[in-house]
Amino acid sequence: MKPGRGALSGSPEAEIFGALRRGVGVALVLLLWELLARATVGSYIIAAPSEITRHMLGHADLLGRALATTLGSAARGFLWGNLAGALLALAAVLMPRGERLLSTLALLVFCLPLVATGPILRVLYGPGSGPQVTLAAMAVYYTTFLPVLVGLRAAPQGWFDLVRSYGRGPVTVLREVRLPAALPYLVAGLQIAAPAAFLGAMVGEFTGAERGLGVLTVRALRALDLPATWSIAVIAAGVSMLAFAAVGALGRRLDLAPPEVLLAPPVARGRRPWANLAEAGLATAVTLLLWKGSMELFGLPRFFAKRPEDVWGYLVAAPGADAHRARLLGALGETLAMAVPGYLAGLLLGAGLAMALTLRPRLSGAVIPLSIALRSIPIVATAPLVVWALGREATGTIAVVALMIFFPTLIACQHGLARTPRAVLDLFAVYAASPLRRLLDAQLPAMLPALFASARMAIPAAILAVTTAEWLATGRGIGALMATVASTSDYGMLWSAIALIGLAAVLAHALVAALERRVLARTSPEQLAR
Amino acid sequence: MSARPDICLVGVAKSFGVDGRRVEAVAPINVRLAGGQMTALVGPSGCGKSTLLRLIAGLEATTEGTITIGAETPDALRRRAGLAMAFQDPALLPWRTVEGNVALGRALARKPRDPKVVRDLIALVGLSGFEGRRPAELSGGMQQRVAIARALAGEPELLLLDEPFAAVDALTRDRLNTELPPLWEARGASSVLVTHSVAEAVRLSDRILVLTPRPARIAADIAVPLPRPRGAEVLASRAFRALCAEVTEALRVHQYPDTVAAQ
Ligand SMILES: Nc1ncnc2c1ncn2[C@@H]1O[C@H](COP(=O)(O)OP(=O)(O)O)[C@@H](O)[C@H]1O
Ligand SMILES: [Mg+2]
Repeated sequence: MKPGRGALSGSPEAEIFGALRRGVGVALVLLLWELLARATVGSYIIAAPSEITRHMLGHADLLGRALATTLGSAARGFLWGNLAGALLALAAVLMPRGERLLSTLALLVFCLPLVATGPILRVLYGPGSGPQVTLAAMAVYYTTFLPVLVGLRAAPQGWFDLVRSYGRGPVTVLREVRLPAALPYLVAGLQIAAPAAFLGAMVGEFTGAERGLGVLTVRALRALDLPATWSIAVIAAGVSMLAFAAVGALGRRLDLAPPEVLLAPPVARGRRPWANLAEAGLATAVTLLLWKGSMELFGLPRFFAKRPEDVWGYLVAAPGADAHRARLLGALGETLAMAVPGYLAGLLLGAGLAMALTLRPRLSGAVIPLSIALRSIPIVATAPLVVWALGREATGTIAVVALMIFFPTLIACQHGLARTPRAVLDLFAVYAASPLRRLLDAQLPAMLPALFASARMAIPAAILAVTTAEWLATGRGIGALMATVASTSDYGMLWSAIALIGLAAVLAHALVAALERRVLARTSPEQLAR
Repeated sequence: MSARPDICLVGVAKSFGVDGRRVEAVAPINVRLAGGQMTALVGPSGCGKSTLLRLIAGLEATTEGTITIGAETPDALRRRAGLAMAFQDPALLPWRTVEGNVALGRALARKPRDPKVVRDLIALVGLSGFEGRRPAELSGGMQQRVAIARALAGEPELLLLDEPFAAVDALTRDRLNTELPPLWEARGASSVLVTHSVAEAVRLSDRILVLTPRPARIAADIAVPLPRPRGAEVLASRAFRALCAEVTEALRVHQYPDTVAAQ
């Protein structure tokens, strides 16, 4: 049953009053924003709402057409990406032995930096909307793959036994149990995917597209056109929030209960170290094979489509490899110095705020809806603004990364904290334990699975944020390097950077997963048992 | 097709490999359960009752020995949907209504759709008027009754019940104990019931197998020759109380052998 709303809130007076209060709140925020913008007008950071409105009205035609273009690409990418994600999950469930390999490959492709894949796709597709659609699809398939996989598996053993006890096979299990059980997870995945597809399409337009909001963004940034940049960021944020809300409404319409856990911890199948090593070796081999195989299959020219052995030569064997390596690793070092602090700060702040809010539940009523709304904003589209605001020094980039991770972590941890079993909370209530005590002894352990799931999902997010900030704003690190070499057709370096980032992402993921298993084995072994 | 199959266990044993160690759940058991009877399995928790039931259902493979039901293996019986099981956990599908869940029992057993049978069963377990509700809107006892209706909906030849009343409150449990036996008696199914309650075992079954702590062995094999239907007068009878005492004693002797040795 749905929680009943307060007696007052149903009456028309209360509704009018509520709307009034919300209206006053919005007006107040706009007023503050306007004042702040006028006070800092010399520093070229904040555009005032009045300026933004004027710009939007003045360029309504242009913005409208650009928005339509981007929405079209995003919608097609949304469709293909989610289809791919759902089918991959289905394949992983139907072939449990291949699941680890499939998950690793899916993660790897998801971690490919848009900054580099954009130009490559542009060369592959030529002009048109192909790259935007592909990037939009690549931005969403993984966040649909993971929850659908959990949903397909999450059914209790009893439901499988039930079907088996009637002598029915896997097809019936799929139809009667797995697919219906996965539906809420699919909708949850689609909800995350909706803003992500829009973001992916926008980033796809950054490189060589003719039309769309992404094109306007790059143009506005180059011209330091503050009202234009802010207008686009506001439009992107608005569209993303609408898309997020629309899919959420669809879920409620279908009367689906929101899923319990979205991201299950990774399964440790191979207990022995050599089994894990063998799996890693297999994943590497399959990756290299797919990389080379697809290039040969489509007969891609060697000048542009570097094979694995070309990258090896470029970084290790060929003359000048030392210089290549030094340049690449130097850039990676710069990037890690931003990405790692930003990553940790985003996670800690998100988890910390979630915990603080359980101690001050009154505050969470205000903070949570706000964060749910902000989570759907494409932070990356606002990255230049953040970097402008905080400066090109480390702070700006670190803040972009942290922001990108902060909101999803906050929401996930909130969710985790709320899953503390009722009986455990009652126990602490019986002994009149302090809220802090309850938090540390009961709620924190319940939150850890959600925190670790966020930590894993935050890795691709951090890569996306840091490379985009470097590319669009700071001009340093591996993001800027990739942008530079893409524009000078130095494809050896570009492919080397992609390979290095992919490797780093998979290693980081394995590190977090190992830590996760160790910690959860102690705090919540039931999460690991399967 | 024998509608009342005998269940025959020959040297049936089961052990699980857990983290490289072997856990023996069921020691070699030989027993023949006559067709059309209800047999109750009682024993301390963790002794292997559920495992034994799952072996009979063919949901687990035996480590040693063979099980035949009528002339078939459990797998064969299961494949032609001659079996129904009610689990300790009602295992209702939350996205189906009460009616949908009961109808699923027929669909899975490949019986033709029959809304009337489904509604009659729902009425029988006392849930008329709740046909359109979802499991989440029902109490634990109501959910369990839906699960029992679902098990009966497939018209099974063999009914396996694993502590089906564990989550049901005492009053409802008492009602179900009164109302359900006529049902499966009328259908002539063979049935095996796992229960924790000695009184329930005596009240419902024709024969009680008392199991030892893990690994499960048959500690006592007690016939229950009480007349049916077993109304209030039977429950108040001396014979009923004597049987309860006998089962309780068998349980005690085997659960706490030390206390017996000390006497
Ligand atoms: N799938 C399994 N894997 C490992 N051990 C199991 C499994 N199923 C049951 N066991 C073990 O077998 C023993 C008997 O379990 P069970 O049959 O569920 O007992 P009961 O139903 O009598 O309470 C227990 O010790 C349990 O831990
Ligand atoms: Mg049991």
